[in-house]
Amino acid sequence: MTSDFKRPPAYSGVWHPDAIEEIQEKAELGRYQIRGQATKRHSLPNFDDLVFTPAGLSRMPLEGYRERCDTQVVIGEGRVSRPLVLERPIMIAGMSFGALSVNAKRALGMAATNCGISTCTGEGGMHPEEREHSTKLVMQYLPSRYGMNPYDLQKADMIEIGAGQGAKPGTGGVLLGLKMSEEVARMRDLPPGVDQRSGCRHPDWMGADDLYMKLEQIREVTNYEVPISIKVGAARIANDVRIACKADVDAIVFDGMEGGTAASPAIQLDHAGIPTIAAIAEAVEALHDMGKQNEIKLIVGGGIKNGADAAKAIALGADIVYLGTAPMIALNCHAPIYLEDYERLGTTPYECQHCHTGLCPVGITTQLPKLMARLDVDKAAERVTNYLNAMTMEIQLFARSCGKNKVSDLDPNDLRSLTHDVAMMTGIPMVGLNGRKPWWQKF
Amino acid sequence: MENVETLTLDCSDKPTREINNIIRQAADDGVAAIEILNTQARHNIGVGILKPIHLIYRGHVGYYTVGLCDGVTAEIHGSSGWGVGDNLLTGEVVVEGNAASSAAPSLRGGRVVVKGSGGPRTAVYLKSGEVIVGGDAGYMSGFMMQNGRLIICGNAAKGLGDSMYQGQIWLGGEADEIGSGIEQTDPETGELEDVLATLERFKIKAPKTLKKLQSDKSLWNFNKHDFAAWKDAL
Repeated sequence: MTSDFKRPPAYSGVWHPDAIEEIQEKAELGRYQIRGQATKRHSLPNFDDLVFTPAGLSRMPLEGYRERCDTQVVIGEGRVSRPLVLERPIMIAGMSFGALSVNAKRALGMAATNCGISTCTGEGGMHPEEREHSTKLVMQYLPSRYGMNPYDLQKADMIEIGAGQGAKPGTGGVLLGLKMSEEVARMRDLPPGVDQRSGCRHPDWMGADDLYMKLEQIREVTNYEVPISIKVGAARIANDVRIACKADVDAIVFDGMEGGTAASPAIQLDHAGIPTIAAIAEAVEALHDMGKQNEIKLIVGGGIKNGADAAKAIALGADIVYLGTAPMIALNCHAPIYLEDYERLGTTPYECQHCHTGLCPVGITTQLPKLMARLDVDKAAERVTNYLNAMTMEIQLFARSCGKNKVSDLDPNDLRSLTHDVAMMTGIPMVGLNGRKPWWQKF
Repeated sequence: MENVETLTLDCSDKPTREINNIIRQAADDGVAAIEILNTQARHNIGVGILKPIHLIYRGHVGYYTVGLCDGVTAEIHGSSGWGVGDNLLTGEVVVEGNAASSAAPSLRGGRVVVKGSGGPRTAVYLKSGEVIVGGDAGYMSGFMMQNGRLIICGNAAKGLGDSMYQGQIWLGGEADEIGSGIEQTDPETGELEDVLATLERFKIKAPKTLKKLQSDKSLWNFNKHDFAAWKDAL
């Protein structure tokens, strides 16, 4: 007698198929894997571990469609002559021309302009199309100094000194040869087709005292007109905040380990840096320690998907959220179109992490004209605008439901933790405990 | 300041911002040169100057002197701090003494001449233009050079020219260690003569011999195995 029963595979918990495949691939290749997008880890503490505690009897909510809920944030107010006014507490994160196609940069610029928020050049210089389409443009000042010049610094609305990114803190940029087109190479002073590996630390400053002088230099070049931020991959937060405060920046950007990238050593994505939610908690504490919480804006990014994530980040103490991957997805990243090209890359929509190859099926992370043409700039800009509008409404929804007429008034008292881990990390009380010991401990 | 040929600027009682504003105004007004006194190794003196003017520094200078400038020429009668000539687009800076770390970082054009010795990472990320060191250069000089020409008349410490993409390094003495991805090659016709003429122009004594180093392009692209990896890796 035979049975149709088939035992499910009994994979080892240690030598899981993914681990075996990874070892065999490295044994073949002799170097680490590179991929785009973000960490594959599923178990990181995140914003889903927090919930809002909206108004009830003890606090009155605001009417959703009738009562105003202000979303504006200003960076550098009272500090520089041309502060950056953001109509929503959202910024588009630095993504280079090179990592992205010029069409993608255009579309992001148009969407940001529609929403009164900023985009950021990323590494590789300021593309004229991006400047034209983005009314509020942040210029990154990075170790590689690709395309850096004082004229573009003076055209920027804010300068962001890049000292690391969440996806790969402590390492430099990577742009593989297929994306190093003639135009990208010209802007970066590199030979076309090379695999670019950027330096990971600035060539001309090393520590806290030097950074102060570097800031003074950039303020001199920009005539003290625009704010300057510093961006760091979330890792050694407290000391990094102290150094940034000493350098007298106008804003600090922390990018959690969920942050995205166009190309990174895969192992770095999964094993370096700390999660965004933990980064906010540490940064807020450090800013309070320095007495700078009302002066220096805190911008956080890394895995922020929707208005709930953003509102929770703000309630924890961030002033602004930084979005990179999410607007890319709104552009059309992962869209289930051109399926044969996903298949050719050995992947599918929703799992594709092939930004590094330059063969993006939907025309976003590519420099190949045939693929770039697949992104309709106007439609893509509209999609991103819609997404940002929806997200803004979601943020306001939580603020109003908590009785706040300013999004920036959201605070830790509006949150409760669902897990011990996040309660420990953030200081937000566990649900059911109301910030005290369990009720049964009284007896 | 119109019709002023050479302006004298005393830094001793002025904040940095005022000093730079005076220099910018002078450049706007067509002043040919400024003699800058009492520099006291201060930082950021003469940065962000985008119109032609000649700056004469009487004394040592601090960080980023003539940084992020375009069209400026300068002579520094002393030594310089970190990052002299940072990101210069066009122009020329001559340091009569020594230069600290990272002289001429990310130079995009023009020329920086250090008549004494240069510290670590001299000409780091050199993108275009020329950097000349009359004496020795510190470790990782010419690191990740992207183009341009670096001339070191004396010796170089470890990691010379490491990971350079393009450009030339001319070395008069010995290097403690040559960086990854570079090779010594024979000069092409006229190249050595051009280097010697340039040194002569700045009255720098030329070494007896000069070696030409350049990228061997081995680090331009990952190898065949790597290609397969990035193409297929998830």
